[in-house]
Amino acid sequence: MIEFINVTKRYNNGVIGLNDASFRIEKGEFVFVVGPSGSGKSTLLKLILHEEVPTEGEVYVNGFNIGQMHRREIPYLRRGLGVVFQDFRLLPNKTVYENVSYAMQVVEAQPRDIRRQVPVALALVGLSKKAKAYPDQLSGGEQQRVALARALVNSPAVLLADEPTGNLDPHTSWEIMKLFDEINQRGTTVVVATHEKNIVDDMKKRVISLEYGQIIHDVQKGNYINED
Amino acid sequence: MKIRTIKYLLKEGISNTYKNLLMSLASLAMVISSLLIFGVFLMITINLFYNYNRLESQFEIVVILETDATSFEASDIEQKIISDERVFSYKRVSKEEAFSEMKEMLEDSELITGLTPEFLYESFRIHLKDADQSEAFVEELSVMPGIKEMEFPRELLEKLGVFFRWMNVGSMFVLTLLLIISVSIISNTIKLTVYARRREIGIMKYIGANDWFIRWPFIIEGMVIGLVGAVISFILTSYGYNAIESYVNRELISGSLEVLRVKSLDNISARLLLLYVIIGTVMGAIGSIISVRKHLNV
Repeated sequence: MIEFINVTKRYNNGVIGLNDASFRIEKGEFVFVVGPSGSGKSTLLKLILHEEVPTEGEVYVNGFNIGQMHRREIPYLRRGLGVVFQDFRLLPNKTVYENVSYAMQVVEAQPRDIRRQVPVALALVGLSKKAKAYPDQLSGGEQQRVALARALVNSPAVLLADEPTGNLDPHTSWEIMKLFDEINQRGTTVVVATHEKNIVDDMKKRVISLEYGQIIHDVQKGNYINED
Repeated sequence: MKIRTIKYLLKEGISNTYKNLLMSLASLAMVISSLLIFGVFLMITINLFYNYNRLESQFEIVVILETDATSFEASDIEQKIISDERVFSYKRVSKEEAFSEMKEMLEDSELITGLTPEFLYESFRIHLKDADQSEAFVEELSVMPGIKEMEFPRELLEKLGVFFRWMNVGSMFVLTLLLIISVSIISNTIKLTVYARRREIGIMKYIGANDWFIRWPFIIEGMVIGLVGAVISFILTSYGYNAIESYVNRELISGSLEVLRVKSLDNISARLLLLYVIIGTVMGAIGSIISVRKHLNV
């Protein structure tokens, strides 16, 4: 599903984002990528999204070879990936409903399917009643749930999340994590980059720990262990 | 691209135009002012050409026949003139007509006593469609028998011809330059509005929208603004122009300056509106494409 083979990412300014990283994530897994800021979590996600390309090594995502892709293929790679960001990234001029349905418009879905899927996705994240609200009328937790509904509405094989709870209070964070778990139970592969120890420790999932761009631990049912 | 997607993108473009009203108005103001400047220059050019043509059409070639030219020769020449496609109109002036004209000019003075029409020449006065053809026309006609001489303002025509050609080149140059400047001003304004929405473009990319899906609503937005701007500046231009036209023509006529006129817009206003609309929408579309391009590389 996702495979990194001896991947190194060096940025133009000489900074090393990822150093000789290798791992495999299978279909249906739930993986936390942890480490302090600057450890390479974001680089790892950016490589999966083709926001960056590897300097050395190879990255495979859903059958796409990230280093060898044509620009025109990028949208198709991304349509197979649902993404959630720390800062939500909702379209401010669109309602909750439109934000979610936009993801389906992009893939030229049937209007009938859009009318059916969007309410399902909104119901899943518990926001059916806020469909007509605009993002700035929602709380942080609600905005993140809209982003989650948008990420899921096309039933992607992989859900990526970059510090999804970074801007949320502990209680809301926990709710979002429970949603991730629920989504994972339905068969979606979930990759969450975070540095929130409590959550990682409580969830008992696979944990890939990074430090200075290197993978220092990769454990099943692990804890946030690379913290002294 | 599917039809429902086209519909969706059209709707997106139009609704974005008023959801970003302030930025739309800024771009609109730019379109209007660019087109107004363009329009002023266009009007000046149109009037230069108009007056040049008016002037040119007043030139005539006078073909004077020999006094002893036979009526056979004269009708041969007339036939030749009639069949020539370059001729706009002609008038055959008989000896009698020439005589009465002369009488009028000399106001029946004593000079005319003893003079009969027989002493005068028969002639043709010819207006060509394009006075630039005079030289060639005269040359071809000169082989006909029975012609005494031909007159036309050769030097003046040459000078005017040169002036006209330079004016042609110059005005095309300035109009093109103005259009380029307008596109760059407008695309810079649109660039600001796009810059304010670059995050939005980034989000669309992450969701997996392809470049055209992102670009089209912006292009439509640019076209809508261009279209509205074109119509507004057309209305402003024609109101202003008509006011100037009726004022200036009144002054010129009362000042008995027959040569210059301001052209009436009535019969070209439809074409002018079309031109404005094309320029406005194309400028809007190009401006959008240029501005969005930079932000698509995410």
